[in-house]
Amino acid sequence: MSRFKLPSFGSVYYLAICAVLYLPILLLIIFSFNDATALVFPLKGFTLKWYGQLFENSELLKAVGNSLVIGLGSSLVATIFGTMGAIAIVRFKLPGRGLFLSVAALPLVIPYVILGVSLLILFNEVGVPLSSFAAGMAHVVISIPYAMLIVSSRLVGFPDNLEEAAMDLGASYWGALLRVTIPICSPALLAAFLLCFTMSFDEFSISSFLVGTDATLPVYLYSQLRFPTRLPMVVALAAILMTITMAVMLLSEWLRRVGQTPTPKA
Amino acid sequence: MRITKKSSIALSLLIACALLLGACSPGATPPPATEVPTTAPATEAPPAKVTGSLTLLDWSGYELPEFWSDFAAKYPDVKVDFSFMSESADSYAKMKSGFAADLVHPCSNFWKIMVDENMLQPLDTSKLSNWKDINPALAKQGEFNGKQYWAPWDWGFESILVRKDLVTTVPTSWADLWNPEYKGHIALYDSGETAHIIGALALGFPDPWNTTPEQDEQIKQKLLELMPNVLTIWSSQTELDQLIASGDVWVAASAWNASYVGLLNQKVDVVYIDPKEGRGGYLCGFAIPATSKNYDLALAMIDAYLAQSSQAKLANDYGYGISNTAAIPLVNPDTVKLLSLEDQNIISRTVFYKYLTPEQRDSWTNTWSEVKTSK
Amino acid sequence: MENRGRFASLIGPPALYLFLIFLLPMGLMFAYSFRAGISGAAHDTFTLANYQSFLANSNFHRLLWRSATIAFTIALISTLLAYPLAYYLVFQAGANKMTLMTLLIIPTWTSYLLRIFSWKLILGSSGVLNSLLLATGIIETASPILIYSRGAVIVTLVYVWVPFVALPIFAALERIDKNLLEAAADLGCQPWEAFLHVTLPLSLPGVLAGFFFALIPTLGEFVTPLLVGGASGSMYGNLIQDQFMRALNWPMGSVMSLAMLVIVLLLVFILSRLGNLSELAGF
Repeated sequence: MSRFKLPSFGSVYYLAICAVLYLPILLLIIFSFNDATALVFPLKGFTLKWYGQLFENSELLKAVGNSLVIGLGSSLVATIFGTMGAIAIVRFKLPGRGLFLSVAALPLVIPYVILGVSLLILFNEVGVPLSSFAAGMAHVVISIPYAMLIVSSRLVGFPDNLEEAAMDLGASYWGALLRVTIPICSPALLAAFLLCFTMSFDEFSISSFLVGTDATLPVYLYSQLRFPTRLPMVVALAAILMTITMAVMLLSEWLRRVGQTPTPKA
Repeated sequence: MRITKKSSIALSLLIACALLLGACSPGATPPPATEVPTTAPATEAPPAKVTGSLTLLDWSGYELPEFWSDFAAKYPDVKVDFSFMSESADSYAKMKSGFAADLVHPCSNFWKIMVDENMLQPLDTSKLSNWKDINPALAKQGEFNGKQYWAPWDWGFESILVRKDLVTTVPTSWADLWNPEYKGHIALYDSGETAHIIGALALGFPDPWNTTPEQDEQIKQKLLELMPNVLTIWSSQTELDQLIASGDVWVAASAWNASYVGLLNQKVDVVYIDPKEGRGGYLCGFAIPATSKNYDLALAMIDAYLAQSSQAKLANDYGYGISNTAAIPLVNPDTVKLLSLEDQNIISRTVFYKYLTPEQRDSWTNTWSEVKTSK
Repeated sequence: MENRGRFASLIGPPALYLFLIFLLPMGLMFAYSFRAGISGAAHDTFTLANYQSFLANSNFHRLLWRSATIAFTIALISTLLAYPLAYYLVFQAGANKMTLMTLLIIPTWTSYLLRIFSWKLILGSSGVLNSLLLATGIIETASPILIYSRGAVIVTLVYVWVPFVALPIFAALERIDKNLLEAAADLGCQPWEAFLHVTLPLSLPGVLAGFFFALIPTLGEFVTPLLVGGASGSMYGNLIQDQFMRALNWPMGSVMSLAMLVIVLLLVFILSRLGNLSELAGF
């Protein structure tokens, strides 16, 4: 199929939204080279000193590492739990379903500061040490509703007997789930994972109470707001993170195109 | 199958991206569920080799090794961990719900409540080599029931910071904030306590911590009248400096002297007011929580933070006031002058934060909630 | 019987997890709503005073109502903006759709705080937009555009939520069988008829999920109002935060959160009735 089309309304709209989403990021990248501490026009001159400061700051880099580990770990667990829950509530009309759904959706409405405080009390009672692991456990809770809603909105409307059809062909129930249901849901699974990661990566209120000495990036950043002179360093970090993410993204897209045989149109 | 392949690529790119980033950071390995105190082999054996670990509940920015180099030199085998706080209240809440730290670093409006609730151990100042140089007036604020609980470390003024190039009249008093010229261009600090103090000073009540219910009502009305002048409410110095540097805010109430020096360095045309009612002042410092089992190490850490080199760095790098008077000669003289660190004429009139009764805390917060949501 | 076992094994692990890490601590917090304070004797005193003072505080009620209407507006606009986006990705973007969707999410990995600072660079007095308008002579004196107002809170949160809302709509549209649309076309349906009768109803579960993604967290939001809302932008979430962090009044904070919870559950209930959500989303 042709990848080159005349711009449609849809693509113009998509590009416009993207422009709005990326414009602030672009400005941050520009300002990461600006020789002034305040993020204010006019630009004052070119410097690399913020990047230098950044690489000398081991606490900040450690915080980035913690955020990534918590983000990836909690998103993975939340996507698995959310998918299990989604399959259960969509496929089986059994008692307990309504109750589970209400409980699983509740984290959406709880102010995070409350969840943070109450988990801190609980963890201290039962002796769970404060760490990025503890914060990750909480992030699973707040991510489950997102994962579950996305996956279930994908599952609804598939014929109920999807798994049965596979089982007629000799698969066990769990085999049918793994080989039929999960692959069908995979775009939703990716969407869920992305969303959960986003929730966790920029989450401050809960982490602030639970991370103990394993500061995450938002925890470090908020605490650092006392010192304006250190803002540009954080901006430089954001610029690096964004650049690497985009580079990996483009690289994988290129690999996909190179490695892919032309696919038939759906 | 097409979809599966694509999403698996997208997923793997995410993970690849994470690994790539993780590789850049030294501490990106998955954290262990339980803390194992590292006992690295000592390069040289000090007289009494001390191992173990020390946990500080501190602001980020103070974890830099230059701030506690004396401790690192004396106890190279002790693992020092930092947990970061974003507000004084935050450290109180964490301690209250059981976070075990060896040192905490809130500001003075939380000092008495922590003492009253038996959350701290008194300091044995005889073991602090730098204690003799600590400004007695500041040290006095950390003394309760005849015992020294707090070691004052950083302090600063809270006053009116003005963009001279953008206003025609420069305020000289807290009451001038109500001047209609500043309509829509004032920034207030997001705190019921601070708002109450400003209201009280503007109304001419001498002691903001000792107001009658009628006066409280007057303060509330006065603050409500200020709201049309208010553009926004600030909550961190970084945010405030941005607001002033961009020119959106002309007059900032309760700005710190650190903002003043920082913005001057940025060539922003600002002036820091000495209001006739006096400036506000904050003071923060270290204490050892009752739950700490590392009392001696914690005390040694406080001593390291109080050292002249550490204090001089605090003033030079961050523009903060310091408690160790012997460190002042090490501070850039211009900075000392701009921060008014030695200007007794100003300091003696400064209205430092005092402790609040729980009732005051409740009532002032509620008043502030009402005022800031009135528009 | 078989089904029951499968249901239990699927729902068991997440349910157990949520019980331990969510319901248990929430129970602790609920207990706090009946305490007189957080330490000393007040900690162990049972009281209903917190509920009484909540009911008597008209400012809380006003703010709760204001936040609910703001959240509703935000969710509505976000959904309207996100739908065409998801539609484009699924039906027109072709083989690149997964990449293009991921591209929408990536900017949200930059700290929200920094993105807000950046927006102020664009909209502030000395910002890009003002310089442009000054240079072209459209305005004569620079002043902040849009920021520091309730409108700014709405615009900012819409900006934040659009990619999030697009995700479930994307997932829901993905599953629509393209043959259905072709069949509709073969039967002489106009494209807009096919959209109205086939695509839209089939994507409604995703639309509702997205709507709630934006609606519910906005109710408790406190960072955005603080940063861009100016003097008139404060929301209910700020008051809860104040009770917890400033007044150190956890009991009151938990009563206020409970009130918010009730509102949300009510909203979800009404909307699910209106949109017949239970059938659409399997609720």
